[in-house]
Amino acid sequence: MTTKQESDTRLLMRPLNWLETRSEEVFAYVLLAPAFALLAVVAFFPLIRTFQFSLLSDQVSDPSPLGGFAGAENYLDLLTGTALLPQQFLDPTFETPILQQALFVTLLFAVLSVLFETLVGFGQALVIDQEFYGRRWVRVAIIIPYAIPIVIQAMIFFLIFNPTIGFGTEFMQWLGIFGDNPLANSSDSFVIVLVADIWKTSAFMALLILAGLQSVDRGLYDVARVSGASKWQQFKYITLPLVAPALLVAMLFRTMDAMRIYGLVDATAGCQTVPSMSCLVITALRGTRRWATASAVAFLTAVVIGVLVAVYLVALRNREAGVT
Amino acid sequence: MSDRQPDVAGDRQPEAAATEAAVDEPDLDRGVVEAWAARMISNPERAYRAGFYTATIFFIVTTLFPFFWLFVIAVTPRSNLSDIGVFTPGGTPRAEVTIPLLEWTLAVPAGVPVDLNPAAFIEIFTVIPFHRYVFNSFLIATVATVVVLFVASLAGYVFGRLRFRGRNTLLLLVLVTSFFPPAAFFVPLNRLFNANIDVLAPLMQDGSLYNTPYAIFIPLSALYLPLSIFILTTFYSQIPDGLEDAARVEGTTRLGALFRVIVPLSAPGVATAGVLTFITVYNEYFFSSLMTNGLERNWAPMLEGILQFQGQFEVFYNLMAAASIVAVLPVAILVVVAQEKIVSGLTAGAVKE
Repeated sequence: MTTKQESDTRLLMRPLNWLETRSEEVFAYVLLAPAFALLAVVAFFPLIRTFQFSLLSDQVSDPSPLGGFAGAENYLDLLTGTALLPQQFLDPTFETPILQQALFVTLLFAVLSVLFETLVGFGQALVIDQEFYGRRWVRVAIIIPYAIPIVIQAMIFFLIFNPTIGFGTEFMQWLGIFGDNPLANSSDSFVIVLVADIWKTSAFMALLILAGLQSVDRGLYDVARVSGASKWQQFKYITLPLVAPALLVAMLFRTMDAMRIYGLVDATAGCQTVPSMSCLVITALRGTRRWATASAVAFLTAVVIGVLVAVYLVALRNREAGVT
Repeated sequence: MSDRQPDVAGDRQPEAAATEAAVDEPDLDRGVVEAWAARMISNPERAYRAGFYTATIFFIVTTLFPFFWLFVIAVTPRSNLSDIGVFTPGGTPRAEVTIPLLEWTLAVPAGVPVDLNPAAFIEIFTVIPFHRYVFNSFLIATVATVVVLFVASLAGYVFGRLRFRGRNTLLLLVLVTSFFPPAAFFVPLNRLFNANIDVLAPLMQDGSLYNTPYAIFIPLSALYLPLSIFILTTFYSQIPDGLEDAARVEGTTRLGALFRVIVPLSAPGVATAGVLTFITVYNEYFFSSLMTNGLERNWAPMLEGILQFQGQFEVFYNLMAAASIVAVLPVAILVVVAQEKIVSGLTAGAVKE
């Protein structure tokens, strides 16, 4: 028994001892192996496969959904609006309404949601940045939407804008914005999804902006006060420029996240009503069994996000270089 | 006045004087609103404070009201669902009040609701096994958190404390994966997890990972790994080298030094990474909704449970609301308990960028 245990420990110790005698460099690579193995299986390998799939042709009724090599055909179909999908990715003739074109829906959603979330999040960050009695609980109340599961966020707004039980529809109709059944109408649903997203993710912006606010040297405000600057001038000339880098980073994260929107749409209005880019991937895959087209949509989504990230990074670098 | 700190007093006195001057203007006959406005103009500090309180109350109401309203729906009996008010459950006696000048009628609650149905919170577990769905989610999130913390600890140690060739390239590679949308990985993963792999046949029913918790937590662990790696890299790099050296001199291995010295000393960072990973995995929608067929015995997570009330049982709005409240409790408690960790984790990551 003891000898078996001993040999067991020795067996366990052998790789550890081997590791101990290696150089720091080898040690580093060995420790990174699990992380990169996981990323390889789930991220790198699928990414390459997605690109490969996107160059094949669809076989809708064949047992194997992927056909022979088709080159850039899927991409051309998607970009000219002739893909055989219930919704189009992009229709350059603009015969399809804008809110039925995945690219424009997603871009519009990303721009509007990030804009409003930045404004609301800035307001929230300024509130939590103050010292006051009960600050801890106000902070919990403000960040709690960030921790809400997407499906519950979707349920909340599904119920609020449900014509029979919610008050939201009635209120928006009274304002003259919504039609009869908002969750079946593209533009009304778009507004609902937008409001739901702002409700949840402003908290995320608030937290990242708060980080920027707290790194501002408080002494600067004393100097400003002595020089007679008003609160607004303090905000404009001290807070805003110093928070700008953190703000841009937060907006970058939010834009990337907004471009992948899927769950909120799926659980409220449905992917038919508001076809975001991620939605279109799933529609193509599950709805019409067009694997190759789905892969092409997925890859185009990644490309669009990559372009936006590049724009942000250039803006960040210019700011750091003082060009602004 | 006399007990104030001198500098504070110097700060406040002119303002106080201004306020008094504004209030004590005898020859002006002002109404309540005008007097208030005049005080605001003469003393902007007051206006800012009023604005601050208004904003605070506005934010608290908008973030918390939906939860209150979910509760209102949950306790409304099914027969009264079409009668739910903005603040009160269906079936509350209401009186019509006409607002003068504007000619709006407003139904104002005029009594205590008699007919409440708290049994909805029990019904959700009997109509479908909702507890099983929540348990599945809980288990998946816990396992993913443990895996992510372990793997990210190793990687964070390497990126934070070791010098080696290719460090920046590898770090960039980790960062790049978080740029891609889950949809970009989904098609091949879907195929991979649906394929029958012979090696797995003795372990899984049909040799495929579809309808198992693995199909959800493996992709999610990998996708949320980069965030934890960044948080832990920051924390591990701040531990002084001397402590690690001392442990090495005492005779631990390099791995021993990591798990006996560096990880315990970075406990706040590890807790932050753990809390954030748990919350994001528990909240995730994309893979959670696509990697099972939605049956609780096939490890479908909580979101499928909630959607069951939406699809199969069309009219059970009150159960949807009750189920949402129950499923939100674990993360809500986590936020209340660990709010400092969440704030410090997200802000530390951002400052480092």
